Amino acid sequence: MKRRDFVKKTAALATGSLVLPYLLPTGRLFARSNDPKAEHVVYVIFGGGLRQQDSILQRYLADSQGFNVEGNILYNMLEGAPPSSKIAYGTTPSGLPNGSQPIPKILSQSIQKQGTIFAEMRAISGGHYGGLNSLVTGSRVEGQGLKVRPINPTIFEYARRFGGFKATDVWFIGNTISNSTPLLNSSRHPDFGLQYGANFFAPGITFGADGRNTLSNAKIYHPQEELEPMYKMKNFLDNSFNIRQGDIPGIKNTDEEKTRIKEFIDNTFQRQTAGLIPMPPVNSGDGTTIGYAAEVLRVFKPKLLVVNMSNIDGCHSNFTGYLQAMHKADHALGFLWNYIQTQIPEMSGKTIMTFVPECGRNLNHNPILDENDWYGYDHGDFNSLRVFGGMVGKNVPSNLMIGSESNPIGKVTDFSLTIADILGFKDEVKNAGLLDPQALSLFDRI
Amino acid sequence: MRSFNIIICLLIFLGVIHGCKKNDTSRYEVKSTTSYGDNLNKNKAKSNIEYHSILSTNLFQKPSSVNELTRLDRVIQSCGDKSLINEVIISNYMNSTQVRLPSRKMMTDSTDRFIEETYVRFFIRRPTEAERTWFKNFINSNKSNPNFTPELVYTAFAASDEYFFY
Repeated sequence: MKRRDFVKKTAALATGSLVLPYLLPTGRLFARSNDPKAEHVVYVIFGGGLRQQDSILQRYLADSQGFNVEGNILYNMLEGAPPSSKIAYGTTPSGLPNGSQPIPKILSQSIQKQGTIFAEMRAISGGHYGGLNSLVTGSRVEGQGLKVRPINPTIFEYARRFGGFKATDVWFIGNTISNSTPLLNSSRHPDFGLQYGANFFAPGITFGADGRNTLSNAKIYHPQEELEPMYKMKNFLDNSFNIRQGDIPGIKNTDEEKTRIKEFIDNTFQRQTAGLIPMPPVNSGDGTTIGYAAEVLRVFKPKLLVVNMSNIDGCHSNFTGYLQAMHKADHALGFLWNYIQTQIPEMSGKTIMTFVPECGRNLNHNPILDENDWYGYDHGDFNSLRVFGGMVGKNVPSNLMIGSESNPIGKVTDFSLTIADILGFKDEVKNAGLLDPQALSLFDRI
Repeated sequence: MRSFNIIICLLIFLGVIHGCKKNDTSRYEVKSTTSYGDNLNKNKAKSNIEYHSILSTNLFQKPSSVNELTRLDRVIQSCGDKSLINEVIISNYMNSTQVRLPSRKMMTDSTDRFIEETYVRFFIRRPTEAERTWFKNFINSNKSNPNFTPELVYTAFAASDEYFFY
């Protein structure tokens, strides 16, 4: 070969290998559109509505019950001194007044110090399903009915389709099976849908009394001697029947993933009996949900895990209970971040945690009084579209507060694009054209 | 006039005689048999409760209680992969001492009958020749595996996509 030909062919080959797309082992055709900012994302949703005045604005009872008592009851998340009187947001030791013992702080440094807080964002919907829907899809949800899967793709589907992740890489941990929560792990969009959906557990049911009675006596079959022939027969039968993709309700894991999840379910019941599930020191309701989310993180080290809490919604009829639930949710958030950093080496330093309430709560109270004669708050007015959010972890600027009451920055629909940005497929998600047109990655809002 | 009446009566009489002729019965020597459907028209998904009501009756020969079915429904809703969670529930059923399964001997000695009965039991249809042959070969090739039991075959059928539909 002549020198000139050799140089020409080598140059063409090098150019081709750089320019042409190639099939990645994950099934993706193209490499990611942007450099990932982190390898894992944990997205915590405060479902149920967190009133801006009582949370980030730290006015405690001052803007809600007419008492001049301010203070921060979210001290794992935010900087600020806790209230000095009328303490009702804590736990209730035997013989002491309700809520009189605040929960000790878990994090040595608040999330605000470690990461970035968006102090005044805008929610899309002041209602429950619409709020959660907009948080997992990043789209506006007008015209979306209840008891159906979202119209537009969820962040789980984007992650699996554009990130090339397998089903056990993507999890949604819900607090309940009501309010259509189990339907949020995938949309019914024809280009996405169940084939790209996330694994879902509602731990209160799956690992609660119902689940224990139904699932804990499962046989664990030998993977080669028993499971392999069983799956061969099942796959033969399924191929003979050959229904359309998506006709079977629920997402699909591969046979290997199924075996892993079955082992996880079995181990979880055993670890539960032995008291080994990693729970926040103060746990019940939301705390338990967070504990099982930590267990999923410990075992699967997923690329994306979304967890939803909801105890704060008791504010409709019990303001004291709402303060306590908010305080416990902060405690659970602090526990989760601490657990990732200290107990899961594969995720420590490689994870970004984002968090946001589903919506805010009304400006004015409803007529329902609780045991302290404090009024409840519903959600649905303009004030319930006021929320805050934040993120912490790898590549997130620390000790940064963006926006203020008079200068709102960011929307809840930003979170889907932010997650796509973190995991490296922002452009694909944007180009799919199904997000809120005003949505931006929070990194682009900084 | 009288002869006209006689003719009319005669015509009616002849008409009746002719009309009462006995029909011939054709006999084709066809054996009566139970008919089964195929899988082509199964396009309605069973609800969680329908699925487990039918399955537990199938495996235990007695129906589950409403409370039990409601609990199952809640647990299935709490898991994203329905087929996976059903497999876990099926393996719970299989761990029960009350489950009624054919013997391994019946499966290996009367394989044709076992396959036929399993298809009819779960799918309410007979296997096609291709299905029968595949299963026959598969069961024969696993005869040396002591862990290969009717339980695994039943689990595969109970967890199959076709069993979710009717």
